[in-house]
Amino acid sequence: MQVNGQLALTVLMGVFLVAVAAWLARVENWRTYTPLAGGGGAYGQEGYTSEEKPSGLIRWLTTVDHKDIGLLYGTYGLIAFAVGGLMVVVMRVELADPGMTLISNTYYNSLLTSHGITMLFLFGTPILAAFSNYLIPLLIDADDMAFPRINAIAFWLLPPGALLIWAGFFPIPDIIPAQTAWTMYTPLSAGLGNGNQANAGVDLMLLGLHLTGVSATMGAINFIATIFTERAEEVTWANLDIFSWTILTQSGLILFAFPLLGSALIMLLFDRNLGTAFFVNGGDPILWQHLFWFFGHPEVYILVLPPMGIVSYVLPRFSGRRLFGFKFVVYSTLAIGVLSFGVWAHHMFTTGIDPRLRASFMAISLAIAIPSAVKTFNWITTMWNGRVRLTTPMLYCIGFVSNFIIGGVTGVFLASVPIDLVLHDTYYVVGHFHYIVMGAIAFAGFAGLYYWFPLYTGRMYQRTLGKAHFWLSMVGTNVTFFAMILLGYGGMPRRYATYLPQFATLHQVATLGAVILLAGQIIFVWNFVQSWLEGPKVENGDPWNLKEDNLYTAEWNWYDRKLKTAVADGGEEEEEEALTDGGQAADATETDDDAN
Amino acid sequence: MANEIFDRETLLDLTVNMIPLFIIAFFMVAFAVFPLFGRGDLLAMAVQYGLLLVPFVALAVLTYLSGKAIAGDEKRSTVFLQGQATVDEPTELHEYESQAEAAAVDDDSPAELESSDGETTQNDDETTRN
Ligand code: HEM
Ligand SMILES: [Cu+2]
Repeated sequence: MQVNGQLALTVLMGVFLVAVAAWLARVENWRTYTPLAGGGGAYGQEGYTSEEKPSGLIRWLTTVDHKDIGLLYGTYGLIAFAVGGLMVVVMRVELADPGMTLISNTYYNSLLTSHGITMLFLFGTPILAAFSNYLIPLLIDADDMAFPRINAIAFWLLPPGALLIWAGFFPIPDIIPAQTAWTMYTPLSAGLGNGNQANAGVDLMLLGLHLTGVSATMGAINFIATIFTERAEEVTWANLDIFSWTILTQSGLILFAFPLLGSALIMLLFDRNLGTAFFVNGGDPILWQHLFWFFGHPEVYILVLPPMGIVSYVLPRFSGRRLFGFKFVVYSTLAIGVLSFGVWAHHMFTTGIDPRLRASFMAISLAIAIPSAVKTFNWITTMWNGRVRLTTPMLYCIGFVSNFIIGGVTGVFLASVPIDLVLHDTYYVVGHFHYIVMGAIAFAGFAGLYYWFPLYTGRMYQRTLGKAHFWLSMVGTNVTFFAMILLGYGGMPRRYATYLPQFATLHQVATLGAVILLAGQIIFVWNFVQSWLEGPKVENGDPWNLKEDNLYTAEWNWYDRKLKTAVADGGEEEEEEALTDGGQAADATETDDDAN
Repeated sequence: MANEIFDRETLLDLTVNMIPLFIIAFFMVAFAVFPLFGRGDLLAMAVQYGLLLVPFVALAVLTYLSGKAIAGDEKRSTVFLQGQATVDEPTELHEYESQAEAAAVDDDSPAELESSDGETTQNDDETTRN
């Protein structure tokens, strides 16, 4: 009987797939996708022009244009940011008083796990891919990515990944959310003991994570191939911009780190479902920590290098001068890339590993602090005596530098074994890495979103709202995470839904900070959506007045050409007047250049 | 041939990676001179030094290769201001630098190109500063 049921299901699934394939084949005339079929325009980038792009939803489902894929990644990342952010708001509200009030402790643990994974894998990596997909081909003057279709596949692996990771939260019978924390330490994550982590929800989460890892790896291969082989002739290694350098390094890190995560996840799935003995059943639970952190520490640099690139790229444009010590920044990026693979056990100082090995990991962790500090000095020196324009992107860059200093310095303290033995698994660690992931990485993301807003929307955002967003984020970040550093000094352990009454005040301060952050992000969403739809059109190829200081760069040059040649970009409703060659569209609104 | 590429300038640029290399070397010597946890266990010692040696060698090799690629391209072809290689009227780096130096000699303002400084700045008409 069982077999018959399964057979029926299989047949049903087969019929369904055939139906989908038939529908896809009919809905579009795929033969029209030959590049440059009709008057593709003078510029390489327009390989897939308006005629070839279908309109509406189909365009977004079928696109292989790097700019469209960049926008998809961006949308995806921001949605994940909202999901992960709302999860943590619930947690912070729960933590406003010591006991268990709003949600159950197990639900708290579920949110904690999902928040971490969502922010790192569904927001962090994709939002960076948004910038790199949109910008790298423009910056190095390539026609598109080296493998446009792989690029599209890499993105489309992400939505199913998210659904699997969040599966436990959906009303599916017998499936509960994972409560393993983002580090998925064994034996808890192997489903042993009296807990409920043998549930299939954990397996789904692991599979989802695996998908996002495959996606990141495909993207990384694509970027390495693109940057090595698709550069225009003038873009020599000496002329490669700093953002592309950081993406190249990041891709190298992904290439070595993510497949390892994938293997470790498979081993864990085997331990859970097939009775193998890698980590449990007689295996070694510490092996998981080694494998996880051999991926995990490079992962934090995978997340921070491109933001460093964005800041190194944007900050000089508003300092009225070029980046101080450009090559220092390039070489130190590469140094971070290599050394990040030699520090993983600084997350394991308290596990009882051999003290000699601890000492070595401490040494490399201290050495890696140097290239990070060098960059900080480069940014400060760039602003020193410069003509600083405090636009919204610039404010975010300065906020990045300031928060990165606190996050980095607390990191160096944690890297020294005696201090870590005291502070490990306290809120101090939470404070440390949130200064980096929220205070630096998200800030650089916002700097980029504002700086290139005219580039990808053709419009300008509202600058007052932009500044309100910045100040609320800056104050909120520091209130929340400084309170956490103090909590850590006080000995408050991390990952608990309840706590002793003596920690109440600082926890309430942290919750207040989270509410301030939430207010800021609501303003951001409003500003972003409204300005995208109705903001004043930017009809000037140099909205930030970069030419004035000789800081004009390739992507704005591309934008300028696009404005001047204004072939309607497929998909949107055709605007007739935009087709006029050369001149500006009739309804040219004065550019709001936000330069004050 | 190596010395043609690794001239003084390039070596100066690479100092930024020499410092971490030096720190790692320092710890290797320190652990050798003060073996706090004994010399007994050979395997542990081997892993301890391996963990320092592998990143050291990897960093040295990557620094050498990237230095060769970047400095080599500097010698072989024109270097433009960052991100300007493919814009319509790019500025060459040495041009920019010599002008910046000239400007610095003229007055003590920071060594940067003033916007009115001649051919390299394209659109003087757009100087709407605030
Ligand atoms: C630059 C970007 C950085 C990011 C994104 C970052 C991120 C993180 C994260 C996510 C953790 C928590 C891991 C966990 O769940 O336990 C962490 C812990 C740690 N970080 Fe960083 N970090 C950065 C920089 C640094 C630096 C520069 C150092 C030191 C040189 C450092 C040293 C540490 C140490 C030792 C821990 C472990 C603390 C413990 O668990 O006891 N981090 N970091
Ligand atoms: Cu780490």
